[in-house]
Amino acid sequence: MASAALADRRWIARSEERSSLGRFLLWLAPWALLLAAGVYAGGLCLWFGLNQTNMDNRFAFGLWIFLDLSIIALGAGAFFTGFLVYILKRAELKPILNTAVVVGFICYSGAVTILGIDVGQPLRSWFTFWHPNTHSMLTEVTFCITCYLAVLSLEYVPILLRNRELRKLPSFLIFEHQLHKLVPVLAAVGTFLSFFHQGSLGGLYGVLRGRPFAFREGFLIWPSTFFLFILSAIAAGPSFLMLITAAVEKVTGKHLVAEDVYRRLGLISGTLLGVYVAAKSIDTLIWLNVTSAAAGVAPWRYYEYKPFGTPLLFIEIVLLGLLPAFLLTFRKTASRRGWLLSAAALACGGVLINRFVMTVQTLALPTLPFDEFLTYTPSWQEVASFGGVIGYGVILYSLSYRYLPLFAKPKGDQSHVSLG
Amino acid sequence: MFPWVDGFHWTFGHILFLSLFFAVVLVITATLISAVNRTVKNLRTQSAAELCWKSDFTELPDTERHCRHEIAGRVASRMCDNAFDCRRCAKYADFAALPAAGMAHDLGLKYSNDRFYHRGHTWLQPNEDGTLTVGLDELAEHLVGKPDSIRMPAIGERIETNGTAWRMTKNGNEIRVRAPIEGEVVETGGPASGWYLKIRPQLDPADPVTLRHLLRGAEVRWWLSRELERLQLQLRTPNTAPSLADGGVLVNDMMDAIPEADWNNVLASTFLEA
Amino acid sequence: MSARYGMVIDLDRCTGCGSCMVACASENNVPSLPQASDRTGLTPMLVRRISNGKQDESRREAFVPILCMQCEHETPCVSVCPQQAVEVDKATGIVMQMPQRCLGCRYCMTACPYHARYFNWWDPAWPAGMEKSLSPGVAVRMRGVVEKCNLCHGRLHSAQEKAAGAGKREIDPADYVPACVEACPTGAIRFGNLADDNDPVSQETHSPEAFRLLARIGTEPKVFYKSKEPWVRALADGSGAEVKRG
Repeated sequence: MASAALADRRWIARSEERSSLGRFLLWLAPWALLLAAGVYAGGLCLWFGLNQTNMDNRFAFGLWIFLDLSIIALGAGAFFTGFLVYILKRAELKPILNTAVVVGFICYSGAVTILGIDVGQPLRSWFTFWHPNTHSMLTEVTFCITCYLAVLSLEYVPILLRNRELRKLPSFLIFEHQLHKLVPVLAAVGTFLSFFHQGSLGGLYGVLRGRPFAFREGFLIWPSTFFLFILSAIAAGPSFLMLITAAVEKVTGKHLVAEDVYRRLGLISGTLLGVYVAAKSIDTLIWLNVTSAAAGVAPWRYYEYKPFGTPLLFIEIVLLGLLPAFLLTFRKTASRRGWLLSAAALACGGVLINRFVMTVQTLALPTLPFDEFLTYTPSWQEVASFGGVIGYGVILYSLSYRYLPLFAKPKGDQSHVSLG
Repeated sequence: MFPWVDGFHWTFGHILFLSLFFAVVLVITATLISAVNRTVKNLRTQSAAELCWKSDFTELPDTERHCRHEIAGRVASRMCDNAFDCRRCAKYADFAALPAAGMAHDLGLKYSNDRFYHRGHTWLQPNEDGTLTVGLDELAEHLVGKPDSIRMPAIGERIETNGTAWRMTKNGNEIRVRAPIEGEVVETGGPASGWYLKIRPQLDPADPVTLRHLLRGAEVRWWLSRELERLQLQLRTPNTAPSLADGGVLVNDMMDAIPEADWNNVLASTFLEA
Repeated sequence: MSARYGMVIDLDRCTGCGSCMVACASENNVPSLPQASDRTGLTPMLVRRISNGKQDESRREAFVPILCMQCEHETPCVSVCPQQAVEVDKATGIVMQMPQRCLGCRYCMTACPYHARYFNWWDPAWPAGMEKSLSPGVAVRMRGVVEKCNLCHGRLHSAQEKAAGAGKREIDPADYVPACVEACPTGAIRFGNLADDNDPVSQETHSPEAFRLLARIGTEPKVFYKSKEPWVRALADGSGAEVKRG
């Protein structure tokens, strides 16, 4: 065991302190169990079919789609931070950049894995590329997310190659350097792709003419939900990064990131959230009074069904939207870590509720007059599969934190060292 | 997806969508290929070692990146921002003009005034025939003692400044000795005559800039003094205060004498490994 | 000349016997799924029971056969399918589902307001020996794909083959009758070519008693319903406040 610990130490940057190998493995153990349970549940679904879930012909989309949309919205911090740092040159967010890339990679790879299980015929996934339907928002989502996952992988590689042992291979180190020089290109492509797929995920529901609850008018071919989803994603992304970083600092007991970074992330998140709440409120009013009426549905009909009454709308827009937007930007609360993180959690919760309303509530509501309001409870296989994604995420992040320079302190001003 | 595939429609939307998609794929692929190409090119030319060193330098802890002018007492405190490349440092002339005022103890270590010292603990001595001899300095020799294995470069092989001079292993640790100068290896030493390299330098040793990045004269003492302090801190048993006995002599073959120390860290600091 | 096949279903004549459902399942090789519930079963034709919600003598009930409405305008399922596994056949107006291309993403099921699409949650299986009774002209679908009514396209094929065999261009309308239409004992389900003005079914669609479900959404279904009862006609725009389930 001692030699294992020694061998392990060689992989950790020598100026960094990390817990012993034994303790680290102990930390990983429960997450590994979660991952194992997820793999088993997912395997059951792949082997026996989607009858392992509690989805049915009325709830064709269930927990997985709701969580996929949520995880992609929360992972928006990756592209947005890259955009701010490389395109808008906001260098003060550099300390959080590596974490953002890793979190983004985890979110997207996890989502894609779950999507692979969610479809009835995963081996036919390439059909969307071969026979694309450019009218379908889902085609757009598929193309964009695939490309974006490639971009995230390429952004992850330089971080990986800066590992203490891996960098000893000159080809790795030089490749890392060259790839790192091209990261602004990747950041730009990532921004372009993310703009479209975050939006198209909203567009998935906004175009559903047959579901007046979800259907929205918009701009050209894009319903208003397209833009609202982008806004809510870039508002929630920085908040999610704040929560992750704070959690890592708590678990490791280290001070990893300047307080200033938290405040800036909070300001960005809060401002965008405020804009989103304004846009969403206007959109809701238009939808209730104009769009929905045109489809012949009186607005209050949607909220007749408990527990999806008007309180849910209030919670989504005010409690988990307006309130955190205020807390994140108001100087007195934004300067205190406790308030900042609580507000960030509320903001993320608001995005989750929004995704839930668009996916699950849309399907629960009847469309035909003789239909009922139906509910569905996810099966343990569905819950466990997603638990597996969380386990995978924590493990991958923990490994990245332990062996890679995620939070490298700026050693002198790196910009002065001309890298040829 | 392609015009010959069933379901392809020659509509504006279809063409636009697929064009954008292929453009994105092209950009991503081009980025990857470009990075690979440049890497291969770097590896073929001589810039590989320099790039690796610069990248490693940014990973060194603060304690190992003090500017030589600070060590020499010319300036109160300064971190090197140029990867120890005094030859191409814009501020070198300004600092070199300042008076030196270093402090050092008697070290019990041999260092000679006609040698130039690299921060990675090798010395360089110009020979009359224009070649340069490179060897391991006393501190490093005392540390490593007799290596378990050693891999010298081949005759005619080219080495780069801050690149690999030779490699050794000791007690399961791999040590890479950094070269103080670039040039072609013309002779290597052996176990009998001591481990050294004789190099035909690429640049003219008579030019003052060529060896500018190396320490010489009084500043070597001041630097070694700091290095010994660093060693003391790194080798002490945990939870004890550092102590420096006056007139103490460095033990020979410290890696064998103190096997339980964190050699990974000590060697990395000594030989400027990230 | 391209056809627009549609239906008029007379709700005043539908007795709710379910023969259409049985005929459909039989014709289209729908597997028997004893493990399925009413929410996971495969019923390309499904008869729903509705009432006017009253509990006293004024209570009225009716039965509504629900099948794919063969939407004509911005067909919801066609526009959302990511790999073009559904399309509107220009020659017949039938909304064609290609199970071989279906990925099983179920987006079309979310889009269909009539809930006329069904997912194969299980592998198809029949009791031993029953596979001998499968229709030869209809492909069996695999697990993990969506399916729906396609107006017995297998029978259209047979009619086309027969016409081609006799050297004719156009099929004889009498040869192409979907299974549910054939099975309905009261003749409530009537099938015809809505593009043909001489077709009696086409003419029926213009009757003041004819309506379509969720007309205000604008999907322009080619399946019409017909009833003299005002409370049933209130189904048309979905507001049907008086209409209740069961």
